[in-house]
Amino acid sequence: MAGRRKCFTFLDHTADLRIRITGPTLEDLFRNAGLSLMEIMLGKRPRLKTSPQHLSLSGDDLPDLMVRWLGEILYLLDGENKVVMDIEINAISEMHLDAALHTVPLDPRTHQVITEIKAATYHQIQVAPTGNGWQATVIFDI
Amino acid sequence: MDISPEKIDNCRWLIPRTGAMRVPGLVFANDELIRSIRQDQSLQQVANVATLPGIVGYSLAMPDIHWGYGFPIGGVAAFELDKGIVSPGGVGYDINCGCRLMTTRLRADEIHREMKELVLALFRNIPTGVGSRSPIRLSRSEQERVAVMGAEWAVKRGFGMPRDLERIEDHGAMEGADPSVLSERAIQRGRGQLGTLGSGNHFLEIQAVDAIYDPEKARQFHLFEGQVTVFIHTGSRGFGHQICDDFLKEMGRNAFKGELPFELPDRQLACAPLSSDLARRYLAAMACAGNYAWANRQILMHWTMETFLKTLSITPEELGMNLLYDVCHNIAKKEMHQVSGEGTMVCVHRKGATRAFPPGHPLLPEIYQTTGQPVLIPGDMGTHSYVLAGAAGSMERSFGSSCHGAGRVLSRTQAVKKAKGRAINRELEDKGIIVHSRGKHTLKEEMPEAYKDISQVVDVVEAAKLAVKVARMRPLGVIKG
Repeated sequence: MAGRRKCFTFLDHTADLRIRITGPTLEDLFRNAGLSLMEIMLGKRPRLKTSPQHLSLSGDDLPDLMVRWLGEILYLLDGENKVVMDIEINAISEMHLDAALHTVPLDPRTHQVITEIKAATYHQIQVAPTGNGWQATVIFDI
Repeated sequence: MDISPEKIDNCRWLIPRTGAMRVPGLVFANDELIRSIRQDQSLQQVANVATLPGIVGYSLAMPDIHWGYGFPIGGVAAFELDKGIVSPGGVGYDINCGCRLMTTRLRADEIHREMKELVLALFRNIPTGVGSRSPIRLSRSEQERVAVMGAEWAVKRGFGMPRDLERIEDHGAMEGADPSVLSERAIQRGRGQLGTLGSGNHFLEIQAVDAIYDPEKARQFHLFEGQVTVFIHTGSRGFGHQICDDFLKEMGRNAFKGELPFELPDRQLACAPLSSDLARRYLAAMACAGNYAWANRQILMHWTMETFLKTLSITPEELGMNLLYDVCHNIAKKEMHQVSGEGTMVCVHRKGATRAFPPGHPLLPEIYQTTGQPVLIPGDMGTHSYVLAGAAGSMERSFGSSCHGAGRVLSRTQAVKKAKGRAINRELEDKGIIVHSRGKHTLKEEMPEAYKDISQVVDVVEAAKLAVKVARMRPLGVIKG
């Protein structure tokens, strides 16, 4: 999103893509993770009129919830040709989240996919509080 | 845990059994390769795989091993059918990612002038890059037929010839594929992607044979020096990715009814007992993706042939494009191997490893009974690729497996950093290689220095008697996503 501070950093991984995401709250962390995934795949996205859709998701714990969450966003792009432009996390707990996703249709004329991500993996996944917020480490298969 | 491999000989390193490891690890590498292997976490991953129930022999790593997720890339492991497991992470998201090589009657010097035009035409005709859409639209029932019939579906639709099928591992169709186990999402993701190359390290390359190592096998493979060949590297696209994702999640939760009888060292190694219904369903879905990938490569081969004919204005007879072989390097298969001196059916996982059956193996077609199975090893954009032939040592030492490529040595971020300010396509052009890629970013990530020296990788494979070198090809033109 325009004006949004970059909230992820690339970490080294030989074959795949490892990133660290941060956020002041758990809601922010999940929002940032979803938007980071879009930024890595599509770079800057033109601001177009979005359509909202609701998503309710369960996981075994926070790391599982994170992998499933990123999987949902990836599926929207690859399976339904929808680009997530913005996210509101309405409720979140260890094992559940409710979110509103604002999407636009994927259009090859306006969107250039820079990096193909096959999936968010469970390998060395971490989601944990830090001194001043939350942090997650995720490895994507690319 | 610090892993210190012990040198056995010039091409093998042992990781002794410690802690929860049920078997030792064995890495095929020379002194130089092991130094780079020790710099990432791949040896730990070899040790992690060794802890999985029912593993037999060794947790193996090919010389192109590098840090993956769950299994190392370049990992091979076999599991007993009654006590062992199957792990979607041991196959990977890109199920039946693999290679095919086509030979032609053309000589490289005959098409030198048309090379730029040819590469550009391929780039236009082969849907390449993320989000690229195929002109093939599949109904649900057609997609299910692809999932069961594999390459034969493509042949029946006019993509290629019936004779191609015996030149594909498993004749281009794995048994046991059952579309009824697939999720709606897998169907949806697969619908528009049949007949696409994809992105990342996937590519289509025009090459010239520049060295022959085994003249007799080369003759039987119809390879000659100076010959134009075409190499395709791609897989099952979003269809396979979704199937892996679906089953990893299901196995993470349910595989052992909430109670693992062992400690899972990495969640990405989630698995199910081979005797379970969940494993049966995974293998049935995995076969669907495997078959989709074979249909995909069959279609891409056909479009490649059409592009050559049109661009060069020659007849099919003049072109003489024939399939040499098609192999997968991300798969799990039930195969017969010697375990403790007895022939035993095991489930072999090859994650970034190529099957390399020797001469006389009953699963090889008649045409390759005396040569051994062609083993196709792609290099990266700037370096050579190899054709090898499976050798007897593979059955004794590696569950009939060999390496699958050069193997990364630089991470993608390191590669992009190293390529900063450089025009990689210009550098390649200076070496006589024409490259068309959707994004400059991909070129930087996939730059030649990001990979190990492939000649060392194949030399280790040959020294370990897993396969023998037959021919080497140098790249002339590449299209990438």
